[in-house]
Amino acid sequence: MVETIYVPVFWGGETLLDEKALKYFRENKIKSVALFRSIQFSFKEIKEQLEKLGIKVNITKAKRTSEKGQILGCDAYHDSFFETIIEDSDAILYIGDGMFHPKALLLSQSNSKNFKEVIIWDPISKSLEILDKKAIKAQIIRRKRNLRLFLNASKIGILVTLKPGQQHLSIALNLKQKLEKEGKKAYIFLDNTFDFSHFENYPFIDAWVNSACPRIGTDDIVNLNQTLINIKEAFDPIKELDSLDIF
Amino acid sequence: MYNLELDFLVKEIKKKKSKRILIQLPDGLKNRSEKIVQILEEETGAEVLIWFTSCFGACDIPLGIELLKIDLLVQFGHSIFLKEKEW
Repeated sequence: MVETIYVPVFWGGETLLDEKALKYFRENKIKSVALFRSIQFSFKEIKEQLEKLGIKVNITKAKRTSEKGQILGCDAYHDSFFETIIEDSDAILYIGDGMFHPKALLLSQSNSKNFKEVIIWDPISKSLEILDKKAIKAQIIRRKRNLRLFLNASKIGILVTLKPGQQHLSIALNLKQKLEKEGKKAYIFLDNTFDFSHFENYPFIDAWVNSACPRIGTDDIVNLNQTLINIKEAFDPIKELDSLDIF
Repeated sequence: MYNLELDFLVKEIKKKKSKRILIQLPDGLKNRSEKIVQILEEETGAEVLIWFTSCFGACDIPLGIELLKIDLLVQFGHSIFLKEKEW
């Protein structure tokens, strides 16, 4: 593979919370936060700022990230992090722009008993936004529908990509074996990047299982007519359906 | 106020003696490719190509580019990731 340099493109400006944001913490009597960020933004300033106000700041590491506090879009499962700081904090604070990463923090709360919204602080626009479960309602409805249809499907297509970090062929083979023991037929499809318009070339497939980016099975499904679930959910779809009750 | 670390890249490219480089940027940074190509080409003499489409994350790197004799890939906007153990 060709040598690769990653340039994180760090934000050089200020990240501090403004008075309006601090007021939100005071009014909601938040005493502890689980703090996350995208790689562009440092959490140091905000951590100090909150600690001065007596708010406990909990920081963990996601299993796939290189830096503390950093979150990736694929950290969308309850076991994506080394420590359970979301459960152990009053609130979740995300530093960054865009919705892709904070939505992962909502999705990661399946299986949780006490759902928490995500407070987003965007240091570029200096704006505070609250992301609650309404933001993923359409995705969750579609995900439940897909899990139910998958349970009844008899011909399954399992998608595997060649991208580093994905390449889940051995898991796909395990799933194929499991499904075929249950009397279903499974086919494994390989590609570099999935272009879902090609689904229509395989009309004999009843349901698709995605082993590439997990956000395909949580977000992109809203725009797909075909049934698709993530491979992590395909081994025990009933348990997965139960875990979505929190939403 | 985003730091593209072009000084660092120029030094690395010279050190590695890279001749043909592919840069890859997330959508929000794609319009910076004009400036990046100009600076890297002027400062290093390397050929700099731009990946046209996706750059979803650190795992989303173009495959097979060695066939075009590309000797360095520079992906902006992401950091190195750790592969999750197979479960």
